[in-house]
This record gives sequence, C-alpha cells and structure tokens, in this order.
Amino acid sequence: MLETSVSSLLGIFLSPHMMMLMTMGVSVGLFFGIMPGLGGKLGVIFLIPFVFGMDPIPGAVFLLAMHSVVHTSGAIPSILFGIPGTGPDAATIVDGYPMAQKGEAGRALGATLCASGIGGVIGALFLSLLMPFVGPIVLAFSPAEFFLLAVLGITFIAALSGDSLLKGLIVGLFGLIIATVGLDPNSGESRYTYGQLFLWDGIDPVTAVIAIFAIPEMIALAARGNLADDDDAGGFRYTMRDVWEGCLDVFRHWGLTLRTSIIGAVIGLIPGLGGDVASWLCYGHAVQSSKSPERFGKGAVEGVIAPETANNSKEGGALLPTLYFGIPGSSGMAILLGAFVMLGIQPGPRLATDQVDLVWALIWTLAIANILAVLLLLAMAPWLSRIASLRTGLLVPFIIVLSLLGCYLGAGAWQNFVLVLGLGALGWLFKKYDWPRPPFVIGIVLGPIAEDSFHKSMALWGPGFLLRPLSLVLLSIIVVTIALYIARTRRKAVPA
Amino acid sequence: MPQSKTMSSSRKGAHNKWGGMTIRIIALAGSWVMLVLWALNPAIAQSNLFDGKTITYIVATKPGGGYDTMGRLVARYLEKYLPGSQVIVKNVPGAGHLVGAKMIYAADPDGLTIGSFNTGLMYWQLTADDLSELDLTKMSWIGKAAVESRVLVVSAKSNVKSLEDFHNVDHPVKMATSGQSSASHQETELLAKAFNLNIQIITGFEGTEAELSMMRGEVDAYLGSASSLKSFVDNGNGKIILEIGGKPGSPLPQASALAKTDEAKSIISLIETQSQLARLTAGPPGIPQDRLQPLRDAYMAAFADPGLIAEAEKLGLPIVPAAGDIVAERIRADFGQKPEILALLRDLLKDE
Repeated sequence: MLETSVSSLLGIFLSPHMMMLMTMGVSVGLFFGIMPGLGGKLGVIFLIPFVFGMDPIPGAVFLLAMHSVVHTSGAIPSILFGIPGTGPDAATIVDGYPMAQKGEAGRALGATLCASGIGGVIGALFLSLLMPFVGPIVLAFSPAEFFLLAVLGITFIAALSGDSLLKGLIVGLFGLIIATVGLDPNSGESRYTYGQLFLWDGIDPVTAVIAIFAIPEMIALAARGNLADDDDAGGFRYTMRDVWEGCLDVFRHWGLTLRTSIIGAVIGLIPGLGGDVASWLCYGHAVQSSKSPERFGKGAVEGVIAPETANNSKEGGALLPTLYFGIPGSSGMAILLGAFVMLGIQPGPRLATDQVDLVWALIWTLAIANILAVLLLLAMAPWLSRIASLRTGLLVPFIIVLSLLGCYLGAGAWQNFVLVLGLGALGWLFKKYDWPRPPFVIGIVLGPIAEDSFHKSMALWGPGFLLRPLSLVLLSIIVVTIALYIARTRRKAVPA
Repeated sequence: MPQSKTMSSSRKGAHNKWGGMTIRIIALAGSWVMLVLWALNPAIAQSNLFDGKTITYIVATKPGGGYDTMGRLVARYLEKYLPGSQVIVKNVPGAGHLVGAKMIYAADPDGLTIGSFNTGLMYWQLTADDLSELDLTKMSWIGKAAVESRVLVVSAKSNVKSLEDFHNVDHPVKMATSGQSSASHQETELLAKAFNLNIQIITGFEGTEAELSMMRGEVDAYLGSASSLKSFVDNGNGKIILEIGGKPGSPLPQASALAKTDEAKSIISLIETQSQLARLTAGPPGIPQDRLQPLRDAYMAAFADPGLIAEAEKLGLPIVPAAGDIVAERIRADFGQKPEILALLRDLLKDE
C-alpha cells in the first residue's frame, strides 16, 4: 500500500504533464470559485469537453484538481465584498466581511487561504485513512440521523443570534418558512407558490444568501461612497505581514482547525447533506466552543477559519461514497462521477482493490491541488488589495451585476431578480436595525433537510426513530448544546 | 505605493509599444476571416431553410445530468446535419421539466426553438385540468433517443425476494419514490394497482438516495430505470424481479406478460410508452412540414453518425433512436384510448 502511495505521488510530481494539468485545473477552479454563482459543478461541466479522450488518471486528476479548490478562492469575494463566490463560502461572510471593514482584510485572507489549504489536506488524509471503513460509516446515517443533525444545526441559531435571542429566533424561523416555499416533498402540494412555476422548486439558497448578505452591503457601500473606511488608510490596504498574521491564526487555533476539518470531512462523507451544511455547522461549532462568543459576527478570525477548513475538507469525504458506491456525496460530485465514468473509471467497491494507483492519484491530487491553490493565491495576494483603489461608483454596479448573474445561474429563472430585490430590501432592513442575518441562512439550508428526513423517519419507524443508538448520541449532543447555552447566558446575566 | 506607480507606468509603456502592432494584426486577421466567410458563403448556401439560422435547443433541467448531456450531444450533431445552422443549448429548469416544456410549447412554430424534457409529463397531462399552455398530443415531435426500461428491484437486505412475496408478507412492502408528483411515484402507484401489490410508499428519495436506503435495509424495493440501477444490481445490493418495456428476448420477467386484466394491461402499456420514448426532442405545435421533415431527417442522421454513437457510448447513454412520426403516433395512441380507460388512469393518478 505504501509503495503504491509513494509511486503515485512520484508519478504526479515527476511528470511535467501531470503537474501542468494540475496547475491548469487549479487555475480554472480558482476562477470558477471566485466568480459568484459559478462554482465547482459548472466548472466540471465546462471542462468535460476538454478531458474527452484523455487517459483515466490524467483526466481524473485534472477534473478533481479543479473541483477541489473552488472554495479556496470562493471566500475572497465573501471577505472583500460580502458576496459568496460559492454557496458554502457564505458562512465566511459573517466574520470575514467585518474583518475587512475593520482593516483586517489581509489577516482574513491569510486565515482563509491557510485554513482552506489545511482543510483540503486533512480531507485527503481522511480519505486515505477511512478507505476500509467507508461502507459502515455511510450506511450508519439514516434519515433519523439526518433529522437530528439538522436539528443540532438549528439549535446553533441561539449562538448566532448575537445580543438578542428573540431577534435571532424570528429571523431563523423566517428562514425556515422561506425554506417551505415550493412543492411539498411529501404530498406534492404547492406551498406559497402563488401560481408561479419558478417557485415550485423552492427558493434557491444561493439566491437568498446573495440577497440577504450582498445586496445590503452594496447599498451600504454605495451610501458610504468608499470601500476603505473613513480615511484612505483603512479598509483594504494591507501588507503581506497581515496575510502571514492570518496564516498564523490558523495554527494558533489548531484545535478548532483540526476539529472543523474532521467535521467537514464527515459531513462530506454522508451523501445528501452538502457543503452548505458543512460550513454552517462548523461555523456554529466555532461560536459554540469559543470562550468569547460575543466577538463573532464582528470580525472574529475563528469565524473565518471554521467554515473554510470545512468546505475544503468535505471534498475528501465526498469522494469516498462517490468512488466506492458510485453514490455521489453532493451534486457537484454527481457531475464529477459522470465525468469519471466517461473517462472509463468504473466506481464501485472493487475500485479499492483493482485500481489502487488511481485511488492514490486522486488522494494526492486533493492534497497537492489544495497546497498549489494556496501558493497561487498567496502570490496574488498583494494585487487583490488594489481593488480598494477602485472608486465605489465603478465597483458597486459591477458587483451587483455579478451577484445578479450568480442568482440567475443558481436557478435559471429571470423571476429570481424580483426575488433578489425583495429579499435584498429585507436584508437591508435587517442590517440597518441590527438584526442577525446568519440564522436566516441556517433556516433556509437546514429546513428542507429537517422536514424531508423527519417525514421519512416517521414513515419508516414512527416516533421510535429517536431511540436508535446513533440517534440517542445525537440527541444527547443537542441537549448538552442547549444546556451549555443556558448555563452561559445565566453566568453572563449574574455579574451584570 | 511608489512601487505600484512604476509598475502601472511601465505597463502603460508596454501597451503603447505593442498596442499598434496588435491592433494591426487583429485588423488584418479579421478582414481575412471576413473575406473567407464571404467567399465560403455561397458554397454552403444550399437550399436549406436553416442556413444561417440559430436554433435554440431547450433542455428542461439544470446543466449536468442525463438530459443535459444528451441535449448537448444532439445539438452538436444536429448542427452538423443542418448545414449553416447554429444550435445553441439553453437550460430552462424548474417544476419537474414543466417550465422548459411550456417554454418550448409557447415558441414560434418556425422550427428554430426545439428541445427536450421528461416523458413523465404524460402523467401530468392525464391529470391536468388546463392544457392551454402544454398539450403533448399537439406538439411537433422530432424524435426520441433512447429506451429506458423500468425495473422493480428488491434490496438484498429485504425478506421480500419475489413478486409473490409482495402478496405473502403480513406487512405492506416499503417502497421508495421521489416526490408525489414525480414520474417515479406515479409509476410505483400504477404498478401496485396493476398487480394488486400491498405496498407502503415512502416519498422524498431523490437521485441515488433510494439505493442507499435499500442498502441500509430501510425500504424493501424501488422502481427505477434499468440503466440507473445497473451498478446497484451488479454490485450485489439487490435483485431485479420485474421489467417493464424490456427488449424482446430479455431474460427478465416482463410485466406485459404477467398483466391479466384490461386495467392492468392499459396501465403497463402506459408505463411501456414512457420507457420506449425516453429522451424526447420536440418543437411547438404547428411546425410546417417543410421545416419539420428536415429536422426529423437531421435528427435521425445525427443518431446514425458513428461519431455520436461513439460519444454516447463513452458517456454511458444507451441510444435507441426513432423518428418523430413514430413518437407522435405512440403518444396519440396512449391518449386516444377508450374514454373509460383514460378515466380510470386519471382516477388512479389523481387518487393519492
């Protein structure tokens, strides 16, 4: 096993052809990540014609290198403009954007890059270590566990509410209501669709996140007139020292980095949960486990580290069921799986024994591509700050067009523009009157999973589904989480 | 900051030095291209109504997936067999293919807007009250690309092993489907009715979730397309106990042979039509024959092209093409059944 592993690594490293493919894949991936609304799935679709006729290993390496780094660059617009490059990078906005506003853009970028890189490498490690156990782990998660994981995520609303739990709950419940728009997954009944076909599939989370986060930020920016804060010394100007500082932050919080990498990889491993869940659960975990949760939402570097490690490490996890069952862990992986089949790779349990060299090539690709992406972006970091010298008058329209494009690509319906304006106005009110916005995303991301898996669990087992062994473990985690929150607010209330 | 100033000024210098040259080269190359295009134009301008026209091929799903892949493949080869035309693919997803299908239906019948959607919309039409925005019997059918026979698979973990077991077990057999309005759900309901199966349907299983659920031993069985369930069965996770719309000589037990009553026969025939007419291509009602026929011819020529056949095989898309007139006939036949049969099907589909 070790021998194949080393020979695969050398096969990639010593071959100029493979390294060139990898670099090209990474560059394309970074581009698809940084452009709002594009993302890894469209990246694979775009690259499929180019891999036609390639040998299986180079073709797979090329596609995977592209797919595994989109979230590394996707965080950059999250931090600089408050617009997520990809869906899962939305969680990075909550603390990344305030950091940039405080003049810590460099530190936030450094943290996101290093966190992404480390997350990606740990994801690859996870993939190689868990290979023998993938079957039992994936099959251990039934709809009952999905439901409880979603409920656990929903309890994080408390931690994400900031000063007022009531405001957080209202916003979170509003997110849950928005998540019910569309056809009822069970009865097929249309809910809140008002005869509009485009609402049948529900409201696309990317659209909602762009509307709630990006539009208000652009309004605020246009009103203020300049990207950099009041004087031209603040805002985006940063030195490479700031970027290093951010990198070091990732190591200062090594416990968090490690934990969120593993949580991300496990969520990636379970088909059907997806990248948004990975990054938001890890963000929630960071707030929950912090000694000073009140700093979050105002520019805490841990709030950048947690989602960014998770959304890169989940790729390693998601590759496992894709390769071993031919059951993709996410929609992006589904497209990637199609491309793999086209290249002549036959996914299934036999892959582990018959094509060990391919499996190792993919593991190494994950690791090397992630490191390569970080190095490329670090080299570009000094230029990114130049965006600050652009006039707002030039920047705001450009970004608004990009985000609207992202919304259109997300759902492919022009009516989404109207939706963005409506939700954007609401987001602006949230911002103006200081209502927390992250609970909304928790609601819209986890609502459908909670609803669908609750319905399935009830149909399969009745209320007894809560007594399954793994369910009991998750239930106790939920109880402890809530108890900790209550204890903490009590403690805070006493001295005051 | 001084560093950046020198950089930008040196870049400007470079721009001046190269700018004039580049513009001249581009201009020269551009005029050559124009000249060549102009010279070639008469050569490709045969008596072809689609020459110089742009055809929009609507795919009623998001990018990625079988419909999109097949749509893009068809579009590329249609272009080849409609000389001088340009075929662009447009994804119009939403509402289980309904949005895209309605958009095709509403287009001008000039043959310049065609597209593909799920055959399962036939079930929608059987129960729909308003056919003003979409009526499959009126569409201009161009062709179909594949046969997707349906198979009933039982999980290796289930104690249900055969069709007889469906009647013998004391509890309802758990079957997974996607949403209640989906084709998979309708077909499962119809099959249960045709063979009087004692089942409990559990909804909400999208994509490969049903396979995972069978592997976990939660649900017993699933009705899906043979191609999508092939690797599941090959890996030993389940067994096929019934096929609908299989090829003649298929070794699997055929539903059509087992259907005894008229009711069962018409139900199985409806599902068979679905399986025979997979990956459809259609245009709006009323495309004149002088435009529809070239489209149908080009479609069939495309599917005879060795290039397309090789690509489809590589993509894992099995193809069994048929021209539009055959599709139209088959769809008319299914909707033209005796009123009491149609009413029965409608009741079955609505009564959920």
